[in-house]
Amino acid sequence: MPTPAASQTVKELDAYHILEAQRRNRPVSPHLSVYKAQISWYLSGLNRITGSVLSGGFYVFGAAYLCAPLFGWHLESASMAAAFGSLPVTAKVLLKFGIAMPFTFHSYNGVRHLMWDTGRGLTNKEVVRTGWTVVGLSVVSSGILAMM
Amino acid sequence: MYAQVRTAFKIEAANLTSTSKYTTLTPHKGSITSRIVRIRAAASRKAIKAAAFQTSSKRDILPAGPQVIEGTANDPAPVPTPSPTHGSYHWTFERLMAISLVPLTIAPFAAGSLNPIVDAALAGAIVLHSHVGFQSVIIDYIPAKRLPRTRALFWWGLRAATLMVAIGFYEFETNDVGLTEAIKRVWTA
Amino acid sequence: MASLVRSTTRLLPSTRTLLRPPHLARTYATVEPLSNLGEAMSASQHPTPESKTSTIPEPSKDKESKIKTFHIYRWSPDTPSEKPKMQSYTLDINKTGPMVLDALIRIKNEVDPTLTFRRSCREGICGSCAMNIDGVNTLACLCRIPTDTKQETRIYPLPHTYVVKDLVPDLTQFYKQYKSIKPYLQRETKSEDGRENRQSPADRKRLDGLYECILCACCSTSCPSYWWNSEEYLGPAVLLQSYRWLADSRDEHKEERKSMLDNSMSLYRCHTIMNCSRTCPKGLNPGKAIQEIKKSMAFT
Repeated sequence: MPTPAASQTVKELDAYHILEAQRRNRPVSPHLSVYKAQISWYLSGLNRITGSVLSGGFYVFGAAYLCAPLFGWHLESASMAAAFGSLPVTAKVLLKFGIAMPFTFHSYNGVRHLMWDTGRGLTNKEVVRTGWTVVGLSVVSSGILAMM
Repeated sequence: MYAQVRTAFKIEAANLTSTSKYTTLTPHKGSITSRIVRIRAAASRKAIKAAAFQTSSKRDILPAGPQVIEGTANDPAPVPTPSPTHGSYHWTFERLMAISLVPLTIAPFAAGSLNPIVDAALAGAIVLHSHVGFQSVIIDYIPAKRLPRTRALFWWGLRAATLMVAIGFYEFETNDVGLTEAIKRVWTA
Repeated sequence: MASLVRSTTRLLPSTRTLLRPPHLARTYATVEPLSNLGEAMSASQHPTPESKTSTIPEPSKDKESKIKTFHIYRWSPDTPSEKPKMQSYTLDINKTGPMVLDALIRIKNEVDPTLTFRRSCREGICGSCAMNIDGVNTLACLCRIPTDTKQETRIYPLPHTYVVKDLVPDLTQFYKQYKSIKPYLQRETKSEDGRENRQSPADRKRLDGLYECILCACCSTSCPSYWWNSEEYLGPAVLLQSYRWLADSRDEHKEERKSMLDNSMSLYRCHTIMNCSRTCPKGLNPGKAIQEIKKSMAFT
């Protein structure tokens, strides 16, 4: 039910404080959940996610290797290769694809970013085209890497 | 871990909003305006606190706080003091790092694996590239003004982690077969 | 008696101005007493979906009707304790103009006068009617209503802005940032003949694609970086304007302008996401302009 309109006269300074108080009650309009899925920001988000996942894994391994003697873990390349070699073939392929996909994507998209940094390829058309090129290339090359 | 970080965010956000920013808002004691302002400030504080301890799932990790604008609409937004080390030099360094990663990444695919020095350079470049990448993640998602303590925690945590990882890879490079050779052996195992 | 009543009614409004000089007095709508702000206060929350709200139908249906559904974001500051909601309207697009703005105006005129939005020129030069239509920021006056009636159109205010009412966002911060980059010619040297500051046709050409910006804020509010850091990051529109003065051969404060951007927040929160150029209703390229600024600052 809308309240009936009533009004009162207010001094300028008070008006400013009413405005400040009203600002605090304002909702934020929806953003991520309503913005149209476009390759521009989807790939940018993916670039950050894949980068964080790869670097996160890299950091976890580096730190774990340093701590390994303390806890008696075996993270030497020989024992890791042996552990990985004992997995069933499908698991191996899936694992390799799961690592190769973010790696190839982040690499190709990184090159795309370096191209943009020189000021080239920044029109809408080129952004879309190079975006799909990166997606295609990373799917194909991580497929090949997974089979190696 | 994730839930703890999230709660830490929210509690700090609640503390911040409930202390400094609202006190400037009570102009004339007893006036209608000041009463409205105080009631609203209290209500919003309550709302934020309630949000901090609610148990139902919320999709936003760090929701935007109530709108606060410094100064009137006619004052320009404050311009930060120039600091090229965090601006242009940082950007240029980041790009040079990324450019150097291109040949270092292609080389092992072309040559099978790398000699120890180039291999160590690759590992070092990846550590630095990761560090800079995590830095911009922290700058983007943990605003220094709103969450100064969480920001400092992550900032120093990242430095400690990078140092640890760098030493870890120094050990790996000196005691093991090297990064590219190790990946190759695991990959073809 | 009648004359007395008349004179009283004539007197009443004037007593107000007697007590307070008119330049200090303004009337404001009072706000409902705040009892239950709780959930609705929470700044970023999702509006009540259209499935839980009513549909306001087309006022004059006939056999030839081509009915299209619009879901429009609604929130009123008069009832701040109520959650924002998606209100549905159905319109016969045969009786409506071709653009989304025509549909909004028709809803306001004939169906629901409480619907609030900004509009002025209706030809894409004022930038008032910037809003998020079917997920993309654009000007309602330049956006055709999709004629496919099965497809329902969703209209939101510009993303991640504080909502004043319905489709009206508060752009105070945006304008304050625009002011902070000093968007005017800064020059000490007088021209040789003491008249105009001339520039060559080639120098003038460098300003094409920059001066056309109407500051509608579509690009800035499409940028995820600006969503998360609008307090400190300037955003694509303001940076394009900054580049407009950096690229101007007549401006003499380029170094000062660059040093204003040389920190981690103002410029370098741009990660070349390119939503800005994708969404610009004037077909400009803010992403490219930002890149040119970064390039010019890279080795200095």
